[in-house]
Amino acid sequence: MFRFCSGLILCLLATAGFAQDRTHFNYILYCQGCHTADGVGAENAVPRLKDQVGYFLQVEGGREYLVQVPGSATSALNDKDLTAVLNWMVQEFAGESLSSNARPYTEKEVAMLRKTPLKELVKHREALVLSIASELKKVIK
Amino acid sequence: MSWFDKFTEKSLRRVAQSSSRRGFLRGIGAVLVGSAASAPLLPVARADNHSASAPKEEGDPTQCEYWRYCATDGFLCTCCGGTYNSCPPGTEMSPITWIGTCQNPTDGRNYIISYNDCCGKGPCGACLCIRDEGDRPIYRSDKTNDYNWCLGTQSAVYHCSVARVVGLAVE
Repeated sequence: MFRFCSGLILCLLATAGFAQDRTHFNYILYCQGCHTADGVGAENAVPRLKDQVGYFLQVEGGREYLVQVPGSATSALNDKDLTAVLNWMVQEFAGESLSSNARPYTEKEVAMLRKTPLKELVKHREALVLSIASELKKVIK
Repeated sequence: MSWFDKFTEKSLRRVAQSSSRRGFLRGIGAVLVGSAASAPLLPVARADNHSASAPKEEGDPTQCEYWRYCATDGFLCTCCGGTYNSCPPGTEMSPITWIGTCQNPTDGRNYIISYNDCCGKGPCGACLCIRDEGDRPIYRSDKTNDYNWCLGTQSAVYHCSVARVVGLAVE
């Protein structure tokens, strides 16, 4: 079982009550408009999170990318809420793309990474997608 | 025969002698009718359910003042052959949208509204509604309604906008 939720008690704590509602609400309000409710995005318009976002955590630079991508880094969410939403998105959408040794983002890590948003996005993402294809033998959109 | 078997047989015989099948059915019937009266599960009751997907609401959805349109910027699909939840025939709802919250005056609660554009026909031209509450400058791209949200659709031609309730806001 992946370390994002390494024990039953942690899972229950992470998914119970107000905090989870607040995080899901923040996803709806700040992310869902483009990434859609089920994380599939839109072909040729918005990248797919569903069953794919976890691959980025398995290649060099991918972990940073998910925070430095402008939608994350320049979001109106504060560091704490952004961290919660990022971890929620990975847990909710990654599916089998998440490796067993993945670890959640920390607020400190997110706060540091978002200070340097990516300025050139498309080429950066293309390079990561190539890494995923060659290292993990997975084709993503 | 074990003591448990004897006990069971004796108990069942006592029940059989003191009751009838009709009585049993009558009892079951009473329980069912009683349950239906005390905890109705019929569709009528469900339709009255106060859920986020179907809030109680009042007013005229063809008017810009209608509560769901608090951040609308465009033509109301209710005046263009659609509804506030669905696009007019011949148009396609954009999967990419902008999302905000509006307060429903009927129950005083804030709901999350998705302002999907309907695309694929020229501008509807009826019921232009520009309220823009919560609208942000275009550099805050996820919270601006000033550009065409016909993204991810076959056609980028804007026709009208819907206002779908997608959840209940967390206060």
